[in-house]
Amino acid sequence: MIEVKNLVRTFKSGDRTIKPVNDVSFELEQGTLASIVGKSGSGKSTLLSLLGALDKPTSGDVVVNGVSLASMPDGKLTEYRRRDIGFVFQQFNLIPNLSAVDNVMLPMEFAGIRKAARLARAKELLEQVQLDPEKHVRRINRLSGGEQQRVAIARALANEPKLILADEPTGNLDEQTGEHIIELLSSLSHDHNTTILVVTHDRSLANKTDRRFRLQQGRLVEEPARASVGAAASS
Amino acid sequence: MSVLARSVGNAFRNKVRTGAVVAVLAVAISLALSMLVANQAVAAKVTELNASVGTVLTVNPAGGQGFEGGGEPLTAEQAATAAAVPNVSSVVGTKALRLRNATEAAAQSAAGTQGAGTQAAGPGGGQGGPGGQTTTTLTTSLTAAVDAGTLGGRNQAAEGTTGSTAATQPVRSLPITATGIGAEVDSTGKALEITEGTGLGDYTAESTNALLGTTLAEKNGLKVGSTFTINDKTYTVAGLFDAGTTFGNNALYITLSSAQTLAELPGELSTMIVTVDTLENVDSTKTALQSALGTDKADVTQGQNLETAVSSLDSVKNISFIAFVAALGTAGLIILLIMVMLVRERRREIGVLKAIGAPNRTIGFQFVLEALVLVALGSVVGAAVASFASGGIASALISSNSSTTAATTGRGMPGGAAGFPGGAGLPSGGPFGGASQLLTTVTASASPGVIAAGIAAVFGVAIIGALVPALLTARIRPIEVLRGE
Ligand SMILES: Nc1ncnc2c1ncn2[C@@H]1O[C@H](COP(=O)(O)OP(=O)(O)O)[C@@H](O)[C@H]1O
Ligand SMILES: [Mg+2]
Repeated sequence: MIEVKNLVRTFKSGDRTIKPVNDVSFELEQGTLASIVGKSGSGKSTLLSLLGALDKPTSGDVVVNGVSLASMPDGKLTEYRRRDIGFVFQQFNLIPNLSAVDNVMLPMEFAGIRKAARLARAKELLEQVQLDPEKHVRRINRLSGGEQQRVAIARALANEPKLILADEPTGNLDEQTGEHIIELLSSLSHDHNTTILVVTHDRSLANKTDRRFRLQQGRLVEEPARASVGAAASS
Repeated sequence: MSVLARSVGNAFRNKVRTGAVVAVLAVAISLALSMLVANQAVAAKVTELNASVGTVLTVNPAGGQGFEGGGEPLTAEQAATAAAVPNVSSVVGTKALRLRNATEAAAQSAAGTQGAGTQAAGPGGGQGGPGGQTTTTLTTSLTAAVDAGTLGGRNQAAEGTTGSTAATQPVRSLPITATGIGAEVDSTGKALEITEGTGLGDYTAESTNALLGTTLAEKNGLKVGSTFTINDKTYTVAGLFDAGTTFGNNALYITLSSAQTLAELPGELSTMIVTVDTLENVDSTKTALQSALGTDKADVTQGQNLETAVSSLDSVKNISFIAFVAALGTAGLIILLIMVMLVRERRREIGVLKAIGAPNRTIGFQFVLEALVLVALGSVVGAAVASFASGGIASALISSNSSTTAATTGRGMPGGAAGFPGGAGLPSGGPFGGASQLLTTVTASASPGVIAAGIAAVFGVAIIGALVPALLTARIRPIEVLRGE
């Protein structure tokens, strides 16, 4: 269960103040697959960074399973990011001089998992996101954008987080791989009770989510989802 | 992949830059190690020198530094005062006499160049001013082994009183130094090296035994058991000694009491040789002795050769230590700057690590390790360079310093003018260039222990240098990950 309460994030640029997140409130039950759509620059990434404790809100709070992020010290926030959050970044943000498998193992290393166990799990995850086994040990900067995106998704899943925040996860993938990623995320949310919040431009992806939000001028509006979900389910 | 493996990998991300950084570090580290090696070698030499003659202090009458002294003579009471100073283990008095060949002196008198009565209180040497201590000059049957001519203009003692008739006089010999000693040591406190015969037996009693320098004995055709005269009193050669120098061997030793009797000055001393119990106590005892005797009455000095050599070496030691610290600091600074640069460059990547839950200490540790990888590479290259270069650097340091010493050597032969401080600010000089001779025997070899200690210091400094940038990483916020998106 994640509760977002009157979240505000403002930035000062010169003498102008911009509010990409302006009084946003919503709740997500554990295991929900939700999507956010919105124009470029509407504040989607800013909202995700607040939910993932990468950034601190100007005001408001995020409460995860009854615990308020606003009251957490930095050390606890690090632990929250490591254990409870899986972040898929718009620009992958992998470590360029490490191999695919090493990148996926990193969050597990920080969580103190033994080397053999993390290697086995990293390989399993890379298979799940359909990365060619021969590319598992290839350095990130020798992989294509689509391949890097899959490694980024595998890394987000590494510590079996309760909440996955994905910023345009299918943006760099071909249609077929994109489909597969959507299925993977959807099975995670339904079978593993993982809450997933996806920012996307992809209509078909948005249509497959349980709840759909639109971010407009810093304000979050929920779109009625029943019909589309029903349509997606019946197709 | 572990933090260590990641750090090693990161260190090699930009190979050209890594190579450049390692090269610069290697220069600083090899310089630091060379300086440490030089410092250790010199320190070892100083200890060795101090240990060899280091516990002996020489007391001369105030105002005269030379062999024969000046000013008010020292007395037996002062010897007792000196013996009462804490940590003094022995006090040996000496009484110096100047001997001139009887025939020569007679010839000179006959030529009318000198007034009557010069035998008892003969001409003052270069040292003895009016009111100063005049060394007693006596006649002997011995002929000096050193010609005046061979020492040229330095032979002030022989020529000083001859005045305008100098041109007409025959070539004459230097006076022979006879020293009355209270123990079997030479006038600098070193044990006499007796090559033939025996010592004088009881040094505190009067006797007619004498010890002759080898060249003096040879010149006069004397052996152990032969006899000669001083002021018409017959002495027997009890033994021969070798002082190691021509000048030192143109001398003879008799017991202190005999010398005092000959000079008709009982209880009077030219110098006192004070031995301190341990090396550690030398400095404090020297101060205590000086204040016990009074600065207006006596000059306390450490073995002259040694003091100048040691102070010269000490300055090399200090220079090399300062250079070691400076090179070490440079290595630390290089690490600091390169790591600050790397942290700035990898700001976003640090943000990524934080975003996926890396604790600050893990990231900081990774950067310190990365710095240590660079230092380790620099140390390997630096140690290799230092092991070849340190010997050369050490001897260059020492020879440049000792050539300064040689150039400013002021103290002449014993009996000549007293020394003056060197122009370079280093107390310098020594009879026969002893200081520089001692210096050149310093051998700097890069011992594994010293190199290891030096590298440990380099790593210590590198850790300090790397800690600053590592702590900077803690201030980077995870949101940096979104920068530029
Ligand atoms: N650190 C920042 N400083 C100033 N303005 C920012 C900062 N981060 C984001 N913004 C601004 O906030 C707005 C929302 O950005 P973002 O959340 O990245 O939009 P989206 O992800 O929806 O495209 C943009 O106008 C952006 O320029
Ligand atoms: Mg965005």
